[in-house]
Amino acid sequence: QQTLCGLLKKTPLDYAAEIEELNQQHETLFSKWMLQLHLGFNIVLYGLGSKRDLLEKFCTSVLQDSVYLVVNGYFPSITVRSILNSITEEVLDHTGTFHSPPEQLEFIIKRFKEDSSLELYVLIHNLDSQMLRGERSQQILAQLSSLPSIYLIASIDHINAPLMWDQAKLSLYNWLWYETTTFSPYVEETSYENSFLVQKSGSLALSSLMHVLCSLTLNARGIFRLLAQYQLEKKDNLSYPGLSFQDFYQQCREAFLVNSDLTLRAQLTEFRDHKLIRTKRGADGVEYLVIPVDDSTLINFLENEDED
Amino acid sequence: GCFVFKPSPKKRKMVSLETAAEFRDSSSDSEDTNLRFHTCQSLWHQIKSETEKIQEDLNKQLFDNLLSFLRRSHSEFQEKTTKWTCQMKSKEIPTAALILGVNVTDHNMTFRNLSEVLQNNITPYIALLEAKDCPGVKNLMQKLLGQLMNCSVDLDFLEDENSLQVSQNRIRCSMTSLVHWYESVTKKTDSETPSKTRTSPSKHWQSPPVVVIFKDMESFTTKVLQDFIVISSQHIHELPLVLIFGIATSPMIIHNLLPHSISSLLCIELFQSLSCKEHLATIIDKLLLTTQFPFKLGEKVLQVLINIFLYHDFSVQNFIKGYQLCIVEHFYSQPLSVLCCQLADAKMRVNSLSQDQCENIRMLPSFRRYVEGQVSKKQIALLTEDSYLKETVQKLLEDLHVYQENYVLVLRCLHVFTSSLPKHPLGKQLRELHCTCLEGRVWETEEYESALQLARMLNKTDLVTMLQQCVEIFVSSSGKEFDKTVEKLKEFLTQFQKLEEAFQDPDVSMSPQKELQKKTDLYHLQETLLELKESRRCKKLTKFEMLRFEVVDYIDSLVRKHLVPAEQQTLHEIVYFNTASVLREHLNAAPRIAVHTALNNPHCYLKNQALKSDGGSLSNKAPDICIAYRLHLECGRLINLADWLEAFSTVVMAAERPNADAASSEQEEDIIHARFIRAVSELELLGFIKPSKQKTDHVARLTWGGC
Repeated sequence: QQTLCGLLKKTPLDYAAEIEELNQQHETLFSKWMLQLHLGFNIVLYGLGSKRDLLEKFCTSVLQDSVYLVVNGYFPSITVRSILNSITEEVLDHTGTFHSPPEQLEFIIKRFKEDSSLELYVLIHNLDSQMLRGERSQQILAQLSSLPSIYLIASIDHINAPLMWDQAKLSLYNWLWYETTTFSPYVEETSYENSFLVQKSGSLALSSLMHVLCSLTLNARGIFRLLAQYQLEKKDNLSYPGLSFQDFYQQCREAFLVNSDLTLRAQLTEFRDHKLIRTKRGADGVEYLVIPVDDSTLINFLENEDED
Repeated sequence: GCFVFKPSPKKRKMVSLETAAEFRDSSSDSEDTNLRFHTCQSLWHQIKSETEKIQEDLNKQLFDNLLSFLRRSHSEFQEKTTKWTCQMKSKEIPTAALILGVNVTDHNMTFRNLSEVLQNNITPYIALLEAKDCPGVKNLMQKLLGQLMNCSVDLDFLEDENSLQVSQNRIRCSMTSLVHWYESVTKKTDSETPSKTRTSPSKHWQSPPVVVIFKDMESFTTKVLQDFIVISSQHIHELPLVLIFGIATSPMIIHNLLPHSISSLLCIELFQSLSCKEHLATIIDKLLLTTQFPFKLGEKVLQVLINIFLYHDFSVQNFIKGYQLCIVEHFYSQPLSVLCCQLADAKMRVNSLSQDQCENIRMLPSFRRYVEGQVSKKQIALLTEDSYLKETVQKLLEDLHVYQENYVLVLRCLHVFTSSLPKHPLGKQLRELHCTCLEGRVWETEEYESALQLARMLNKTDLVTMLQQCVEIFVSSSGKEFDKTVEKLKEFLTQFQKLEEAFQDPDVSMSPQKELQKKTDLYHLQETLLELKESRRCKKLTKFEMLRFEVVDYIDSLVRKHLVPAEQQTLHEIVYFNTASVLREHLNAAPRIAVHTALNNPHCYLKNQALKSDGGSLSNKAPDICIAYRLHLECGRLINLADWLEAFSTVVMAAERPNADAASSEQEEDIIHARFIRAVSELELLGFIKPSKQKTDHVARLTWGGC
């Protein structure tokens, strides 16, 4: 990945002048966008090329004096909950926690309706990214955007992005479409894209975790879940070496997830191939199993699983 | 991945910047943006309230039916509870199934009105449930209870402490607590639940029903719905529930969702809501075809809006949204739209126009046409003197106004005539007629020709009723212009009446037929038929027919005079909005087409000489992603990455060879490889390809077509 970036930096960007011209053309629309946002429409940008710089420019040039929230949708461990959290915690200065996203949404709606002076601009880069394209997250975002004092500007890139909205959501979103073809390369966006051409190192991202797990059988998912829960329980214990294979086997048997030593081993091999788990030999020669993912991702993962 | 940016607190005051300000920096020159913005806003608010009123009126019939149903079922329920014999049967829940049509977006408004109406007339206890809030029975009960209790709290105007307790109650929500609550509210027996010691307005009625509205029946999970129905049917004695289902498709869905054992617990009655087409017809009638609102839609724009409605979504809400966009766009882009208001206001504003604005008026194409039609002396005056210009503009505005008034009236008349014709040559609906009239001269179209021909063959009774309708239309308008026409039409009518009396002697037409009946043998019959034909051909027109021609011709002349398309009016740019492309882009965009043209033909966006290429081929100097895309189009379903890279580097090398020699090929290859990776991952992000597991080092294409 590093070398790739380095190499790409060397090549000059073609047609920089023309792209610049295109961007300037789009920037003339800013004041119009503001007007239309204030009149209750929301703006969605489409077209080839990264629209990140354009939106950033919009922020810096128009929105300096107002509260705004930037959501990087391409970020692989983003969830709706994190968006809602940042609204409640930082915009509304509320410290409480909520049971579920709908409840949180209700709270936000109530606050915004009570206090008409609250205004919030929400900018979402890549509304159609892996983590936000789910039905439930779109529903919540749509409801959020239908509030009159929340102004939403989003960008979409995937060619099938409009498929994720049905009539009801479309009417909540109240989109105005703008074509903003920029031709600028998707630097940030593809840096998270787990391209098969580049073997990525580093920790697993939530989106890839979900992706792999989605293609597994029900039992396999149960096994992984069990391990994840166990690891989370023990997360405060620094000297926790991981779950030993025998204990894990016992637990899986009790939960009717495996019926023999062999099946569990086969399953674990599959996990290992996908780098979902790691095994370590302890001092006593026993195999210990660890999930090499940070805890926050794991918590997010379990939450998502619960919702489904 | 979320970042909140807050301005520094002292700047916060500035946040509430006027929207009007944005209006200003957009339109460069003129200074009356404030006025324009306010005109726009007030117009929009007028229209909005008008549409809401229309909707309410349209739904009135439906709601009245529902109300009577609720009253009936509820009184039955009370009777039943008194009689023990009926208790066996009384597990049935009265249910109203509302068939609302597929335009989901309009339903919100309907339900809002409905709950208002119900609240005013029948019961204070209404809960609106949406499928997205209720994935399980527990959530459903929670939501239901919360809403009902809040409902009653709202109506009772209780203190805060009580509502606080109510919200705590949400934790233990079950049917029994609901029943308890209901008992306490209605009968004021405050024994069990301490928080509900209150006098509620419900003592006026004897136990008002609790109405539960399911907004979108189709999206509920069947299990939840079934469980809820079973539970509530158990408690129907204590808790008079009435369910209302909002159904988007057809009543069959009830039986699909609910098995027989469950649906037998319901006592269902169907209600049909108004079809969205009729709704649209009234909206168009009330919004576009009146002189009440100064803003008008041009032909193309209207066509786009109607097409979106008819071919895409059937949603009146979206139609109105499009209309709003038109208004905003019109007032935003056209500096002269400041004159788009009621006539009296417009005249005042003309007087206070600035010099720039006067220039703007002179620039209008329709005004230029007008100037060219004048004598030269006047032309000079118009082009140089502002005061004279203002006078003329006032006159012209008045003309425009009169034109609009007459237009609508004559249009309605013409519609009366054409809508009853067989095959509807000019369209069945008023909107179709309106579109054709705006499009060009109506009387030059073929359809109009055939319509007139058909009209000339109308029989008398139809003609008379039509004329009467026309007279009504003209009389209803206050304009003085049509006094003469009304007189003329009335004269026609009286003539018809006279004719009717004169027509009592039937010999003109009836006698040959009578003869026909007498004669039975074939030869004679043939002969008389021939004779009849002859006579018909050269027969003198009867008095009636003469009159009929006269009437039709008169209508024709009316049409020719008043239905001139708007574009030929002077100063029509002020009130007509006719930029359909804006609307199409922003409402009904096509992201795939945009991406496709950008990839296939980057010259559209990047104006560079090097990118220009003829026909279908792509120049090799195009951006990387375009080259990669073009190469991937040439493959089948699975693409080998190595081959793809090979092809890519060949193309790119060919482009670069002229300016770099082959010496540093090693490093160049690396760079090309990196560029290729970037292009491929961008294509993956855009959704054109995805990694495939079927073969190693292959990717699968997700789109069709290609070279």
